[in-house]
Amino acid sequence: MRDPGFMAQDKAQEMAPDTRARDVEVQLTRAGLGFARRLGDRAGGLLLDRLLRILEARHPRAFAALGELPDARLLIDPVDAPAALLLRVGPTLALRVCDRTAEAEATVRGPCARLLDLLEGRIDGDALFFRRELSIEGDTALILALRNTLDGEEMDLFGDVAAAAGPLRHALPVARRNAGRALDLLATARRFAPPPVRWGMTMLERRLIGPRQGA
Amino acid sequence: MGSFELICPAGNPAALRAAVDAGADAVYLGFRDETNARNFPGLNFSRPELAEAIAYAHARSVQVFVAINTYPQAGNLAPWQRAVDDAARLKADAVILADLGLLDYAAKHHPELRLHLSVQASAANAEAIRLYREAFGVRRVVLPRVLTVPEIARLNAEVDVETEVFVFGGLCPMAEGRCSLSSYATGLSPNKQGVCSPASHVRYEPRGEALASRLGGFTINVFGAGEPAGYPTLCKGRFVPGGGTSRDPAYLFEEPTSLNALALLPELKAAKVCALKIEGRQRGKAYIAAVVAAYRRALDAFDRGLPVPALDLEAMVEGGAQTTGAYTRAWR
Repeated sequence: MRDPGFMAQDKAQEMAPDTRARDVEVQLTRAGLGFARRLGDRAGGLLLDRLLRILEARHPRAFAALGELPDARLLIDPVDAPAALLLRVGPTLALRVCDRTAEAEATVRGPCARLLDLLEGRIDGDALFFRRELSIEGDTALILALRNTLDGEEMDLFGDVAAAAGPLRHALPVARRNAGRALDLLATARRFAPPPVRWGMTMLERRLIGPRQGA
Repeated sequence: MGSFELICPAGNPAALRAAVDAGADAVYLGFRDETNARNFPGLNFSRPELAEAIAYAHARSVQVFVAINTYPQAGNLAPWQRAVDDAARLKADAVILADLGLLDYAAKHHPELRLHLSVQASAANAEAIRLYREAFGVRRVVLPRVLTVPEIARLNAEVDVETEVFVFGGLCPMAEGRCSLSSYATGLSPNKQGVCSPASHVRYEPRGEALASRLGGFTINVFGAGEPAGYPTLCKGRFVPGGGTSRDPAYLFEEPTSLNALALLPELKAAKVCALKIEGRQRGKAYIAAVVAAYRRALDAFDRGLPVPALDLEAMVEGGAQTTGAYTRAWR
């Protein structure tokens, strides 16, 4: 476990295999948010309900603690993703895709990668706040309660979901190990593809995950 | 055991495992209530979690200290006494106390339980420390963060009690256990309810590219675009002295900065300090793992007489800046 933000710049350039796998997971998370939004309230809601149930089965202690919080809504806004999430804590725990302007008692904003790191306890929330990579508004106690509850778990979003996928769970470690090679192949294919195909790939990527931060 | 014991914080079971795995000699923690000075939402340990934590730590030869270091409210001693009873029952290696009455209770009801004096007691002179030793059998004193290293050395020469000092993390510049700044702004006390700048009274407001932090309705700091932020504590707030309007707001007590006394290991050893403490029970397990591992490496190198590696942890600390605090403060 280490703080991914705590990395020398030169080392960040030459991304280690696990870092590249992480990059893929972040992109998949952004794509998943876009996908859930396209599904609409009903189907998207069912998908996120299923995700919550999977995480609850893996982390019952954290979910029991979230259920004991007062009824409140927390807007989780990955600023580089196509949509935000509205988490309702308290007796009726729920997760929905929403606009960035949705009403909530508290808001947490930051890059998708950082929010994912925070969810999984790979990074310290205070450090992100000190570096101004994370901004919070509204009910600070609610945000702190959520952060502290999640930090007490050994959460792994993709690992937890894969564990609920039966025999397919064995594919995740293999995929993580080979993510770097797959990305290299994809980049090579992209470089040598004819312009219309390159343009099509870019458009598809934008539709799935939105424009890249800084792009 | 090397030159120093390394005492590390844990705000939840995962953080405890991170601290143990990263090389702590002892982990300190608190119950999930107002009996300890980090009574924040979602933090700390239930009784069953403490039992599991102690089993995990003891299996790896790591000690667990339970901080019960707030001052009991008049007429409501039960939660504090129950905390001491439960820590003893669950076989904690020590309790860290500040209140005289609670020290007396622990000494009388659990004579086998090791007593440490919390930094919250602000015991900063030999007479006070000797009193705690003679009256309650206190075995170790956590020294307040207001002493210089030469003062610590003189103190250790005069008392027959182990001393523990903070070496890394959030820096409280006040007389700990007696500070009422946060109480004044919020009505809740760090010393009684265990909440300095309680989250329920903290608000952050974006002001364009700037970030304002408010405590109990008072704006206590505004961080400019890109400026590293700090905790929303009044002692690290920025104010205009004398209510004037012509001057820029300035830090009156302390800047947002973090303690790091790594460079002082030889002096602290010469001063006969027994244990080094890392602050941060409110921090995430990633921080705990990184800081404890870095300090473990540094102490191992120090014990072998090798150059002590730099920690390089500035990206994780308050205000993005580090200081040796009062240990070397020239104005003192």
